[in-house]
Amino acid sequence: MLRSLSLVKILRNCSLQSIRYFESSTQSSSFSPESSANPIPQQLPLIVSRQLEYPHTRYPPLQAWLETLGQKRDDKLGIVDLHPSIWQTSPRLDILYENIEWQKTYKKIDWAYTPPHHEYPSMRGKPWPQKGTGRARHKSKFDPQWKGGYKVHGPKGPTSFFYVLPKEKRVEGLCTALTVKLHQNDVHFVDSLDLPTHQPTYLQELAEDRFWGPSVLFVDDTDIMPHNIMFASAKTEGFTLMPVYGLNVYSILKHTTLVLTIRALNKIEKKLLHALHSCDNPKDQPAPPDEP
Amino acid sequence: MPIERGLQYLRQMQRVTLKNLPMPLEKTLKWQQAHPDETKIKAIMSRKGPISRSALPPYGIDPIQAEGRLPWILTVPKEPYYEGVEEARQYLPISLRTLQRLIDLRRINPEKPIDLPVLCNTKLFSIQPDQRQFGLQLTDEGADLFSTPINLEIQWVASELAIAAIERCGGVLTTRYFDPISLSALIDAKKFFERGEPIPRCDTPPINAVESYTDPKQRGYLANPDSIREERQRLAQKYGYKLPDPSKFSSLFRLKKDPRQIFYGLEPGWLVNLKDQTILKPTDAKFQTFYHS
Repeated sequence: MLRSLSLVKILRNCSLQSIRYFESSTQSSSFSPESSANPIPQQLPLIVSRQLEYPHTRYPPLQAWLETLGQKRDDKLGIVDLHPSIWQTSPRLDILYENIEWQKTYKKIDWAYTPPHHEYPSMRGKPWPQKGTGRARHKSKFDPQWKGGYKVHGPKGPTSFFYVLPKEKRVEGLCTALTVKLHQNDVHFVDSLDLPTHQPTYLQELAEDRFWGPSVLFVDDTDIMPHNIMFASAKTEGFTLMPVYGLNVYSILKHTTLVLTIRALNKIEKKLLHALHSCDNPKDQPAPPDEP
Repeated sequence: MPIERGLQYLRQMQRVTLKNLPMPLEKTLKWQQAHPDETKIKAIMSRKGPISRSALPPYGIDPIQAEGRLPWILTVPKEPYYEGVEEARQYLPISLRTLQRLIDLRRINPEKPIDLPVLCNTKLFSIQPDQRQFGLQLTDEGADLFSTPINLEIQWVASELAIAAIERCGGVLTTRYFDPISLSALIDAKKFFERGEPIPRCDTPPINAVESYTDPKQRGYLANPDSIREERQRLAQKYGYKLPDPSKFSSLFRLKKDPRQIFYGLEPGWLVNLKDQTILKPTDAKFQTFYHS
């Protein structure tokens, strides 16, 4: 992505209107997905600009390349606009840490249980008389100093570590994770997850040629994925498919590269921007805008 | 712009992974003090131990390692105001008033140069070289009374007024250093000669004293005589008296000792025989070079 970033910087200085001149038949705001087996159309670029909600007052939109998985050769189909509120936030690593801690511990239940004094068998009965035998004096066989005796202040029952991180922190965490990935050249935007073959070697070689790391996270908007990519990623170690509602900070940082489709990008931006720019209480909030 | 700088760092540094994230800020000291550990509270609230018995050692000492006592390095006291006491030099005071009195009572002859053995023979001062005493110092008590010209050789001068008082009457003052071995010879000269040792040669002063013995303001014996003459004139102008004519001085006033010489008229290396009333001088070249160096 190094090559692409420098070009992106150059293009950022150019005005968008000069690029729009070369626009193809597609409309400016929406984009029609390709079918699985068709080759790349002759007229390029396919996407040039996207309309962004809640435009940022200070920063202009970021830009990134649009690529394909339909062919092995790394042809760029166009340029995608990204919202700076999500893709150019301050890299707060401590918020990432908090999100990951939350993701690990909110599901945690500690099942350790040591029965206390009253749940032990009979407490009556001296093991041996007080005097006469040469042994120490004892009252019961299950005192704490005995082997197999009860523990006085031990763990009691299942303890849960559930807590809900505030919504602002979770939203901020997702935004910083995405910025971190983008600015370290680990995000790639793809028109769709359609592959020509179901062979896993095709996808593996494609990822190797393009220097996508050992683990790749493919994100689409729905949870019904095309068959080819499903088969290929099931057979390779490190490739995971994920719908947008499953996107989380842990997965983003665990996988080295992140591959988003345009539809997923639209959905993510819509949801995050809606969350960033709403100040309702959790009780008064209306239903979320989209169904997962 | 902080965001831009942060993103610049992101681009240059390693990939952010699950293992690369920094420690949370909650483990700072401030947070720990607000959220104390349970075991720590139990230790503090225990019914035994130095905390409950108000017997904690001073700050910085572990109560467990100390085993109930102070460490050795704290039991020995420190007295920093006595620093450097082993190297400090002492000088017994002699005032201008006592000098004038001795001259008036004819215990000291002002026409001869006044030296340390001359003053010690009056038996008014008991100088002990092993107690780090290096001679006599001149104080300015009785500066108005002083009125005799003398050639004085003293070990230390504290005030300019004393020098001015002597020079106003037409006297000469020099500060001279004697090391402890030559001091013991000077204090009781007769006893020294009875011992039968050759006269020692005087050592150079220590490093922290060289500055004062080369200072013309102190009239040091190692100072430049031209600068001493300048300082005499300066002092005369400052205190408002006129320096008397130097040609009127008798020849005795111009007597000065060599830096290695202790006694007037006797050279280092000579052996004085009181019984036979003779002086033995070394003839060997190496002794002569040593004592004359």
